[in-house]
Amino acid sequence: MRSSNLFRRLVITGIVCWLAVFALLPNLLLLVVSLLERGTVNPVEPVVTLANYGRLFETAIFRIVVDSLAMAGMAMVLCLLAGYPLAYIIARAPARTRQLMLILVMIPFWTNSLIRTYALVAVLKANGVLNMFLLWTGLTSQPLQLMYTQTAVFIGLVYTLLPFMILPLYASILRLDARLLEAARDLGASRFQAFRRITLPLTLPGIVSGSMLVFLPALGMFYVSDVLGGARSILLGNYIRDQFLTSRNLPMGSAASIAMTAIMGLMLLVYYYSIRSSGRQEDVA
Amino acid sequence: MMKNLHLLALTVLFCLGLAAPLAAADRELYVYIWSEYIPEQVVADFTKETGIKVNISTYDSNEAMYAKIKLVGKGYDLIVPSSYFVGLMRDQGLLLPLDKKQLPNMKNIGPKFINQSFDPDNSYSVPYMWGSTSIAVNTDMLGKDTVRDLADLWKPELKGKLLLPNDSREVIGIGLKVLGYPINDSDPAHLEQAYLKLKELMPSVRTFDSDSPKQALLSGEVAAGVIWNGEAFIANGENPAIAYLYPKEGFSLWLDSFCIPKGAANLAEAHLFLDYILRPEVAAVISQEMGYSSPNAAALEHLPAEVRSNPIVYPTDADAARGEFLDNLDDATNQLVEQYWLKLKEK
Repeated sequence: MRSSNLFRRLVITGIVCWLAVFALLPNLLLLVVSLLERGTVNPVEPVVTLANYGRLFETAIFRIVVDSLAMAGMAMVLCLLAGYPLAYIIARAPARTRQLMLILVMIPFWTNSLIRTYALVAVLKANGVLNMFLLWTGLTSQPLQLMYTQTAVFIGLVYTLLPFMILPLYASILRLDARLLEAARDLGASRFQAFRRITLPLTLPGIVSGSMLVFLPALGMFYVSDVLGGARSILLGNYIRDQFLTSRNLPMGSAASIAMTAIMGLMLLVYYYSIRSSGRQEDVA
Repeated sequence: MMKNLHLLALTVLFCLGLAAPLAAADRELYVYIWSEYIPEQVVADFTKETGIKVNISTYDSNEAMYAKIKLVGKGYDLIVPSSYFVGLMRDQGLLLPLDKKQLPNMKNIGPKFINQSFDPDNSYSVPYMWGSTSIAVNTDMLGKDTVRDLADLWKPELKGKLLLPNDSREVIGIGLKVLGYPINDSDPAHLEQAYLKLKELMPSVRTFDSDSPKQALLSGEVAAGVIWNGEAFIANGENPAIAYLYPKEGFSLWLDSFCIPKGAANLAEAHLFLDYILRPEVAAVISQEMGYSSPNAAALEHLPAEVRSNPIVYPTDADAARGEFLDNLDDATNQLVEQYWLKLKEK
């Protein structure tokens, strides 16, 4: 008993130290730097200012923030639309098929996502696999212009992030008590009514956590837009990288990075409250 | 406060997982260089001849190298910044002057690469490799005469078929050059004109790519691109219809040079190494192995004729004369370039 307590304490101390050194400390440094002024000779000058945060609202930079949020939001919606039916089918499949399908969902994780994004180039480009196939079947006479379009960016984002949506949805649909649906049908609800009044509310926690798991990474995945979208728009991730590397404006880059963290924190807060309130609804029901 | 700032900077680096190499022992040399930028055989031969052990570490961007030299400031004896970073680091006192007496082979460097604005008299830098960023055209897609000069990129035939570098300085440079201004122009009025001119070019741009622009050209996604000559060399080898040309308005040149950073411990060894790679036959081996052009004029005769006479690798003197090296800009101009870059990419 005592030794397991000691073990637990060691593990917890280890994790807390790890997080403090590699997560908390760098973020605190970013916060400090974001409040300083840019230096000409030294990277930063010890002058406290909020100007960096003010600059985030300049039109050009604010548009970058809005564009990034819109893109992540759109990726989230697309993943939900594609992931929900799939998660439903997997959860309702016979146990053995289910295992197989889950493994298939997770296999792409074995390959680095940047490499998978470059692999998509080979699929989408003018003389790529997809166009070769379409031309061969005669479905199109001209190769489709897919590369360097918004469509390609969303194909890339949905492809990379879909498993993050499917897994929590699958878990919550699996937990769903089928007898509730039977009862609803018995009491005269149509299939659609049963879905809307029973399935949807009860799988809401899965929807929300899946959406968070897609939205938050999508906000940072600027390389998908660079590789597949032709880098024609600047996203928050590009902007932060360029501020640190090209412009060497550490305070501005830090401010943008802190702002991104704040947006993500806000989202998690929304998530927390929506889970809590949906839990309360369940209690009432 | 300054001390605190340095401590802060060091902690940042620590958190990034970067650590300075241990201090050098006797007869050792610490070289910090672009990845895959020097043949192992050359280094081994140097060690065999001099007994100096060479430790190589690599970087993949000027910015990464700069941050390490700036914030850590010791542990390396030689670095290889690009032209405008030579200017920046020299201005900031991050480089040590060369002792030319120890570099008799410096005379081998061609006159085009000596005494540039970023390092007058080459007090701090030994030119190592160079190349150009210019226009590559797929003549199968566009015909031979559609694109000959920079201004031709604005032709309607190129709509949605153009590739530009994903680099603010290179793109603004295209705008400046097509208007007849120098590539390092810092006149705000000229920069605005360049921006407005480039804004008209945006509908033609299919993609910005500085990583592997040859792919988009080879797959036929774009019909023309402003790319660096190493990429054009490979693309031309795979598809001879892809031509590389030097427009009459001018183009940008890049030059990477060896420099000794402040805080270097093994100065004598560093000079020995520099003089060794300046030998014509060694420079020729390096150029051939790495596939880049050598600024070493005496090395040319040691190169195979087909390399020496390939205009993609070695442009004629008349063509090369229209090229300009990117130099470091002052702070205000850099911020202006950044603003225009953001505005160019706005939808």
